[in-house]
Amino acid sequence: MDATTVIAVICSVAVFAGWLVLPHSATTVQPVAVSEERKPVAISA
Amino acid sequence: MKIDSGDTAWVLASAALVMLMTPALGFFYGGLVRRKNVLSTIMHSFFILCLISVQWVLWGYSLAFGPDKFHLIGGLEWVGLNNVGFTPNPDYAPTIPHQAFMVFQMMFAVITPALISGAFAERQRFKAFVLFSLLWATFVYDPIAHWVWGAGGWLHQLGALDFAGGTVVHISSGVSALVAALVLGRRIGFGKQKAEPHDATMTVLGAALLWFGWFGFNAGSALGAGALATSAFVVTNTATAMAALTWMTVSWWHKKQPSVIGAAAGAVAGLVAITPASGFVNVMGAIVIGFGAGVVCYLAIQLRERIHVDDALDVWAVHGIGGTWGALATGLFATVAINSAAANGFFYGNPKQVLIQLVAIGAAWGWSIAGTFVILKVVNLFVPLRVHEDEEILGLDLSQHGEPAYASINAN
Repeated sequence: MDATTVIAVICSVAVFAGWLVLPHSATTVQPVAVSEERKPVAISA
Repeated sequence: MKIDSGDTAWVLASAALVMLMTPALGFFYGGLVRRKNVLSTIMHSFFILCLISVQWVLWGYSLAFGPDKFHLIGGLEWVGLNNVGFTPNPDYAPTIPHQAFMVFQMMFAVITPALISGAFAERQRFKAFVLFSLLWATFVYDPIAHWVWGAGGWLHQLGALDFAGGTVVHISSGVSALVAALVLGRRIGFGKQKAEPHDATMTVLGAALLWFGWFGFNAGSALGAGALATSAFVVTNTATAMAALTWMTVSWWHKKQPSVIGAAAGAVAGLVAITPASGFVNVMGAIVIGFGAGVVCYLAIQLRERIHVDDALDVWAVHGIGGTWGALATGLFATVAINSAAANGFFYGNPKQVLIQLVAIGAAWGWSIAGTFVILKVVNLFVPLRVHEDEEILGLDLSQHGEPAYASINAN
């Protein structure tokens, strides 16, 4: 195994193993309320 | 010299793939800006596709690839494609028509100034952008392309390795973007109000199309349909994927969420970094290069934010730093087992290659900084670089082009 392969394996392990310790889910986000319906517009010339 | 139909077909198809990258870049950038500036941002890329296509056949190709003058620039013998016909040119691509090589290189010249447009998005006057792009392509891109790729170019003779444009395309555009951001100054409200991307889906679509087109960029640079093109294709995909995974992981750790835009930006960083190395490294080298791109480009953005430089779409961090990392990594991981016509890098017994790569990196940074600064100052003598404050607040879509991107939604 050459040096490039060793470094590549270390990099891959760092990324894949990193996922084990990352947060499980996003922070709680409040749903965004839609204030009003968009009004249709005329596209024709 | 005999024309090889397979090689010609692949290079022409690659030219079409690379052509697609410029409008794809427009979508990538377009999604990242505010709603009121999306059309102007897309227009930057679309307009440059037209502008440089004409500049290239008139004089750009001759300056970049024409007969060498003092190892610095091509001569004017090929202006208007004079002497650029269908017979292969042995200096560049001995198995395809000379014009096939010319049009493939044209697409590189097109996308490079388009990359810079991300730095001055949302505030540059369109007329100033037109003048800047034409001058920059002529006085910055064409000379650097000649140094690195032109027959007789000084970096080419020095032995600098740049398979598909890490130095020529990405360092030049990324570093110039930083200069442009500093000269133009910050957008109104920068640092006080957040300029959220108006359409992340557009950005991800743009990144995916860039990834697709980049197979032409890198694998096409083999200038033939064979083993080297196959290797370039494989390492391009590998590094891109690894960079996206790495960026996403780093940002997940840093910001506590796996960012979608981050994954897209990471993929682009990987594409940038593998570009100079794509014809010289094996797949293990590609994994390291992708990993490095995901880390260093992400850190470069944190630095850029900390020093309050308004490079609006992070062209410097992704292209300037990603290109620099890629050029340096080429000197580390290049191996003649992939490309017997090249050289080994540091890890294959040739530490000198790292020094050569550093010279090329330094030259590209220096010329890009000086050239871009002078060009911006010259343009500013004739046309103000920035729009008026009220035009910037209104948005460039309406103030520069008189057209809203989305007729049904209030601009903001």
